[in-house]
Amino acid sequence: MNAQVDLHVVEGFLYQEAGYLDRPDLESWLALYTDDGTYWMPASEDQPDPFNHISHFYDDRVLMEIRKRNFVHPRAASKDSAVRCSHLIGNIRHAGSSEQGDLIITSNFQVVMFYREEQRVFAGTYEHHLVPSGDSFMIRHKKVNLINPEAAHKSIIIYL
Amino acid sequence: MTISNDELAGLVEPTRAHKRVYIDPEVFELEMERIWGQAWIYIGHETQVPKAGDFFTTNINHKVPVVMVRDKNGAVHVLHNRCGHKGAKLVETRQGNARGAFRCAYHGWTFQHDGSILKIPNEKGYDNTGFDIKDPCNNMQKVAQQQSYRGFVFATLSPDAPDLETWLGGSKDCLDNLCDRAPEGEVEVAGGVLRYEHDCNWKHIMENLNDTMHPMVVHQSVVQSAQDYIDTLPPEAVKRRSEAEIILPFGGSYEDFEDSGITGFRYGHHYDGGKTSIHADYTVDPEYHAAMVKAYGEERTRDIYSFNTHNTCYYPSLTIKSAVQNIRVVRPVAVNKFVVETWSFRLKGAPDFMLQRTLLYSRLINSSASMVGPDDLEVYRRMQEGLESNASDWVEFHRQYGQDKDEGDRVVGGGTSDLDMRTQYAAWKAYMLQEAYV
Repeated sequence: MNAQVDLHVVEGFLYQEAGYLDRPDLESWLALYTDDGTYWMPASEDQPDPFNHISHFYDDRVLMEIRKRNFVHPRAASKDSAVRCSHLIGNIRHAGSSEQGDLIITSNFQVVMFYREEQRVFAGTYEHHLVPSGDSFMIRHKKVNLINPEAAHKSIIIYL
Repeated sequence: MTISNDELAGLVEPTRAHKRVYIDPEVFELEMERIWGQAWIYIGHETQVPKAGDFFTTNINHKVPVVMVRDKNGAVHVLHNRCGHKGAKLVETRQGNARGAFRCAYHGWTFQHDGSILKIPNEKGYDNTGFDIKDPCNNMQKVAQQQSYRGFVFATLSPDAPDLETWLGGSKDCLDNLCDRAPEGEVEVAGGVLRYEHDCNWKHIMENLNDTMHPMVVHQSVVQSAQDYIDTLPPEAVKRRSEAEIILPFGGSYEDFEDSGITGFRYGHHYDGGKTSIHADYTVDPEYHAAMVKAYGEERTRDIYSFNTHNTCYYPSLTIKSAVQNIRVVRPVAVNKFVVETWSFRLKGAPDFMLQRTLLYSRLINSSASMVGPDDLEVYRRMQEGLESNASDWVEFHRQYGQDKDEGDRVVGGGTSDLDMRTQYAAWKAYMLQEAYV
């Protein structure tokens, strides 16, 4: 454990990110990511990479920018119904450094999603790769490990 | 039977179908028996079970559980997933390896991978009871018929179904084309599966696949969002992105889609495209092209590329994209619920890029978290809910009616016609009236 990592600051940052997704405010959320930032939700457990195996999401900046525009597009029928989420994050741990020297933070999450007259629950672990930026961070990579990645999911129209 | 054949016959006319085919649970139960219980249903690909004892489980319709398994001699079997004793499912997990035998979790009866019974614990209790362990009725039962075509395994609960190739008819050109796109002429399942729950009737997806009047409406948002962002980028940054090639053609014009044409076959199969499709302008990877030319020569390679279909539907359970090398499998659950499985294929002998592009396609278009599939599902759900209205009993499919050209083993029409709907409902009616195999 690296004693220099202030988990209170990390925690505050994760809450800030979750708050943008709760509303959702994709413009502010996207501003937290580095230019080479990626968001990954594997479709199976222990999936080694996002390229040689199918994933639910694997977005780089380009796809995030397209998704941000699509999310508010007036002709995106699946977005006519509002989506609201409530993220709970806990068990925040410092899990070392990535090859690029980023801070690896793991946490547990539970997300209740309200969409189309229905509440659904998602749960799992997050892995954030954080780059220090001023007195906060930027996200270079976020991996969302669902506890049920292989399940038949209904439409997931917002990042978890 | 609560619904008579006369009543069923009245639900489908040449250019319209009654709303009950989508919303009536009794019609759904009859579909499970008469369509899904008679047609060849896609189970899986032989490469999902490469080694002896490897198995994959699924349901043939909304209920009947089956297991696809490879035996020690290399043969693949489709067996009813039911113990010969008290009827417990023998295999609970979706896939795995059964090593020596299937063993029932209840009383420990064991079965070989061809379904034949191996052992019953404490068997002497059956002495002089009239029970005969060698009686095949105690085995795991084989489905009525099972056949595969180029590794794609189908099964049917009907002993009357014609052989698989006859049933596929001319539409098997598309399965051939998918496999021929491999330099080695074979494909294998790779990169896992996506499962997507749809809360609507199973026919909505089958009827959407070659509905070419919808992409420019339903998918306008993702196409415009992609184009708007791409326009802010330098052209060289876009050139390297397969995403642009995959997403933007969904915004094709009515004229583009009309030119692609639709072809329908007996038993409800149909495809759009052929000479051209929304997949026709994908960049040809030079390394892949070299491998193809080495395997087939220039002319045959051009022939393979030039047959470019969009979706081919093998009614009612399977739809494939030959040019993309992914397939979707429909697994019905209830009148207003089904699950779609998306499987991707590796072209044997092709560079890794080809599988990666297939997986990118599956993720961008078919994932429950994509920007395409959810808009399709949204309109299916609106139909499912809207059809409960008493405003009208009918769903129409008149487009270009009277212009479908009969070419013997197939019917050909304009790409924006409702020929695909007419093809499906002709098969629907034949199956439901139990006249399909007459």
